[in-house]
Order: sequence, then C-alpha cells, then structure tokens
Amino acid sequence: MNQELLMKQIVEEVMKAMSGNSSITTKDDNCKLQKITADNYPLGDKMADNIFTPTGKKLSDMTLQQVLDGQLTAEDMRISPETLELQAQVAESVDRDALAANLRRAAELIAVPDDRLLEIYNALRPYRSTKEELYEIAEELEKTYGCSINATFVKEAAEVYSKRGRLRRD
Amino acid sequence: MKKSKRFEVLANRPVNQDGFVTEWPEVGLIAMNSPFDPKPSIKIKDGKIVELDGKARAEFDMLDTYIADYAIKVENAEKVMSMDSLEIARKMCDINVPRKEILDLTLSMTPAKIVEVVGKMNVLEMMMAVTKMRARLIPSNQCHVTNVKDSFVQIAADAAEAALRGFDEQETTVGVARLAPFNAMGIFIGSQVGRPGILTQCAVEEATELIMGMRGFTTYAETVSVYGTEPVFMDGDDTPYSKTFLASCYASRGLKMRFTSGTGSEVQMGYAEGKSMLYLEARCLYVTKGAGVQGIQNGSVSCVGVPGGVPGGIRAILAENLIAMALDLECASSNDQTFTHSDLRRCARSLMQMVPGTDFICSGYSSTPNYDNMFAGSNWDAEDYDDWNIIQRDLKIDGGLQPVDEETVVAARNKAARVMQGLFRELGLPEVTDEEVECATYAHGSQDMPDRDQAADIKAIEEMMAKKITGVDFVKALNKAGFPDVADSIFKMLKQRIAGDYLHTSAIVDENFHVISAVNYPNNYRGPQTGYQISEDRWEQIKSIHNAVSPEDVK
Repeated sequence: MNQELLMKQIVEEVMKAMSGNSSITTKDDNCKLQKITADNYPLGDKMADNIFTPTGKKLSDMTLQQVLDGQLTAEDMRISPETLELQAQVAESVDRDALAANLRRAAELIAVPDDRLLEIYNALRPYRSTKEELYEIAEELEKTYGCSINATFVKEAAEVYSKRGRLRRD
Repeated sequence: MKKSKRFEVLANRPVNQDGFVTEWPEVGLIAMNSPFDPKPSIKIKDGKIVELDGKARAEFDMLDTYIADYAIKVENAEKVMSMDSLEIARKMCDINVPRKEILDLTLSMTPAKIVEVVGKMNVLEMMMAVTKMRARLIPSNQCHVTNVKDSFVQIAADAAEAALRGFDEQETTVGVARLAPFNAMGIFIGSQVGRPGILTQCAVEEATELIMGMRGFTTYAETVSVYGTEPVFMDGDDTPYSKTFLASCYASRGLKMRFTSGTGSEVQMGYAEGKSMLYLEARCLYVTKGAGVQGIQNGSVSCVGVPGGVPGGIRAILAENLIAMALDLECASSNDQTFTHSDLRRCARSLMQMVPGTDFICSGYSSTPNYDNMFAGSNWDAEDYDDWNIIQRDLKIDGGLQPVDEETVVAARNKAARVMQGLFRELGLPEVTDEEVECATYAHGSQDMPDRDQAADIKAIEEMMAKKITGVDFVKALNKAGFPDVADSIFKMLKQRIAGDYLHTSAIVDENFHVISAVNYPNNYRGPQTGYQISEDRWEQIKSIHNAVSPEDVK
C-alpha cells in the first residue's frame, strides 16, 4: 500500500473516532489504526491531501486564484478539529503530552464562535464571574458546543476560584 | 579626603550610571539561591501530588494547585526528587548525557528542585547545558519593529529590512493603542516583502491581540504574561486557568503562541513572598508547561533592571532560560529591554545566549534606533547591526543575522512602503503619500518620517474592524494593487493555520513556507562536531562584510 493511501485511511479512522463512531476497525488487517507521528510531520507538506478545512476544502487544492475568485473566504482559512487531533498525535510521539492536551482542548473550541470565545476567556479572569456563572458556561460549552474537556476544566477553575476567593463578589 | 583622579575617571564611566542594590532576601531582592526558597519535596498519593516543595495540598495557593495538577509528570517524580541535585546538574552540562535523558528527569521535578539543580552550575556550565537543551537544532533571532509616531509605513519598511537581515520572527506594538491594526498590517506585509515566511505579532492587551490573530492581522502571539505568585497573577488580571484557556483559544484558530515571564516581575510588583527571583520564575515556567503552551519568552524581559541590579542577576537570567529549555519549551531568551549604560555590560549579558544559541536569542532586537523602540528601548538597536555581525564573524557563531548590502535594503524598503500605499488605496483606507514612501525608503527612524493624521487613521481603523476585514481581504487588495507576489505570501502565511504545523515547539517558517521546528529539526547536540554546525554557505554569508580588505585590494 502506498504511503498516501495509508495516510488517507488513517485520517479517515481518526475522523471516525472523533465523531464518536465506534466501528473504526478496518477489514484490512495490514492497515490497523495507526497513530500519526513525527515521521508524518510537517503534515502540510507530507499529508496535504489529507488535511481539510472545517468547510471541507482540501489543503493541497487551495490556491491564490481561488481567493481572488472569491471561492475561498476567511471562513476557509481555519484549522479543523481533525487536523488538531493529528497534530496532538505528533506532539505525543515526541513526548509532549501537555502540548497534545492543549491541542485537544483547542480542537473542541473550534466550534465556539470568535466573539463567544473572547467572552468566555474574559469570564475566566479573576473576579469576573460567580461560581454559578462559571458552571453555566461549562454547561454551555458541553451542551451547545460539545466541549467536554473544556467544560470540566472551567468547573475545576470555578472550584479553585471559590477556594481562593477569586470569584466576583456582588 | 583629597580626590583621586583615577577614581574620578571611573566614577564618570557609563557603568557607574547604572543602578545597583545589595541583596535583601527577606523581600525577594535576591537573584537565586535564597535561604528562604522552599526546600524541594514531593508526596504522591493515588497518582496525585499531595505535597509540593514543603507545602501540603491543604495549604496550596492557586499556582501550587495548578502546578501539582498539570505541570509535573508524576510517574517517576519521587525517584527523581530523591536524586542528588549536584549529580543532575553535572548530567545537564555533560555532553555524554543526551537531551532526552535530561528531560526524563527535569519533567518529573518540582520548581524548587530544578532551581536547586541549576543553582549548582556556573554560567559556563549553563551555556554548555543550553547548547544541548535548546529545543530547535538551528538557533534564530527575533526583532522589534516599532516607532514613536506609530508610522505603519516605516514599520513596513523596517520589517522588510529586518527580514533581509535575518530575523525569523518580528514583533510590533503601539504608542496609541487604537492604532494596533495598522501597525500589525505594516509588520505582517512589510516583513513578507523582505523575506517570505516571517512570523509577525502585535503586542497589545490579551483580548485585542487574540482578535487580531483570529482575523489574520498577525501569525503568532507572545504577550501572554504569567507570574510566579498568586497576588501578582491577579494584578495581571488573569489566572493560570484563564491563561490556559487563552492558549487553547489561539491553537483553536491555528495560531502559534508563547507565554511571557521573567525574573524580577514579582518583586517589582511588590509580592515576591520572600522568595528568590529564580524560584518564582520557575513557577511561571511550570504554569507554562502545564498549560501545554509550546514555548515562553523569558530572561527577565521588561524587568531586567531588577536582576541587573543584584549580584549574580545576569547568571539568574541565563538560569531561567535554561530551566525553560529543560522543561522542553521553546525559549525566546529576551536580550531585549535596555538595562545598562555600559556597552561592555550589554554585550557580556548577551553572550550568555549568543554563544550557545537559543531558539530566539533576542526577543527582540530593536530594528530601529533606540528612541523608536516602544518596548522601552532594547539592549540591541539598529545602530548595532554591524557590531552584531562582526561578533558573529569574530567568534564564528550563528546569531541569526547576516550582513546586507545597501542597494538591496533600499529597494526592499521602497517596495514595502509602496505595497502599503497600494494596499491602503485598494482597501479605501487613508492615503499613504508619495512623500511617506520616499521617506520610509531612506529613513533611519521616525524623525525622518512625516506625521500622519492619526485621528483619520483611528476612524478608518474603527470602520475597518467593524466591517470585519480579514487577511483574506489583504490578499485580494494586494493583488489588485499590482503585487501578486506579496498577495501570494500573505495567502501562504494564512494557509499555515490550516495545517497547524507551526503550533509545535520552536516553529519558524522558511522562505519556501516550510515549517522548521523542534519536531523535524530537534537539537541533537552531543559534543564537538555534533548538533547545529554552520554550513559553508552560511559561513560565507556571515563572514562576507563589505569593508574587509582582500588581497586583491592591496595589490
């Protein structure tokens, strides 16, 4: 099997795994689910046919002319959750677990609109929010945007802020 | 007493205009090795750290809690903590012990332990360790591009020149906060004229900086400060949790970012809690590590006057850079803010990072005259370009820069200014006059630039931001303005965020838009003739200065 095809399959598996589809095993025993590593890096050079924007555009197809023709917009110039997951795997392959965790939190946050993301960041600053408000944000992150890791993280922050007196005092 | 003429001469030397203080450990006015620093300790129960550097979990402040929960690999922590710090220090500067083996130790240590380890080393040993522990194989450099008039045309021209001179990253900021978007456009687009692939940022308030990143005005961020005590962190209007969330926000938009910290900030802000500057800086670095940020700008940075005034302060600055690298973080090693009147001191301070090489030796080097540096002046200015180049040539080291010829620089500056003129015309923004283009082409600093109507610029910026203009609009406008090559570079820089390769540790982008980071170019130094070696071509570039006399000249 050539390298390109193998990569494509791997990406498909990862994407299935991320969308919560549990039937991710392939029939081909020779192509078990393999993780992406530093060998695949830089993905933009080595896997450009397998990198897609959240709007479904393939990285290797994107050209300046398409921008000029209006076929590519600012909405297309974004990273996708699948790509961040692949980059998290690259980070893990070189023992950078904390960086991988950050990239996975980030993968979730792609779904949150720019303005709301800024509001949530500001709400996490000291003395900005009550504990209840932070818990509401956590619920919104979880329910509206599917950000379960971030939701847990915000709740954890709420508890620490509560203990350290860093919540808003009305 | 009759006055000595010798002492009179000495009293008038620049170094004696500098401020110095004696140590006062009780308030944290001590660089490192304070008797009041906590003793290293760790206790782990059910996989969770329940004691950190002499404090039980019940007594943890917010930083302790965060560090204990996120920043230390617990598996081997007890074993590593029981090792002799001197033995670890010797391993750190030993060419026979590979980087990876050191990381297995350092990533399992507490802040007090790592401070104790580097506290056993002298500066030469630390420089040996930096040579090995720097994350990226190839050292690099970063510059500031600012001016007191906030002239974005001058910024574009200076950025183009700085790119030709070798800076892989460039940073701007503002005098007037509301002008930030124009300055960000100037540095982003101007730098691409000089050398495609340069990463640029605009240092402003956190939320504004993020908006500019999201909209494609910048390609990375750095001004995301962290502090070593809880009260100072709160004064900085953030928490380790908000900063961690912010870090993920950047990555979610495919943007590179690093945190910023440095010795002296806590004592300067009055809450050092009686700990040494280095111990508190170590806590910042652990917060950075825990947040999963790829790197840090540290080395006292804008607080350099504080460690610069105490005994061993410059050693502590090198020690904090080394700790960052020992935590496997990209290190942009400061060498920025002015701290001395003495040329000898400013050079000696920088040799600590120049000689071993760091991910970014300066962060940054001022690409303008000192009066135009809006980060309160830099240790290195545009006037020092040739000195830096000659020092590289003298020592055969790669400090990231190279000599350039005047004709090429003038042409690049002129093109950068014309590109801004065309861009502004196409975007319907206030005019960039021919006079501005001409002045920016030949300027040394903003004293050579005409004034702009700042009120009109601010109004135009407000409209532009309300319309949500993005980097994609720049691409179209640049092409229409007759600069398809620059349009293509901006497009390819925006494309970087789709693949996200430059989110990894110590990433820079070369002239063909290939990412060079600690993933594909990891530092593999193991002693003489290993690690980064200056190639024949690169040496030719470094040593070729226009004013060297050759045998042909004297014949």
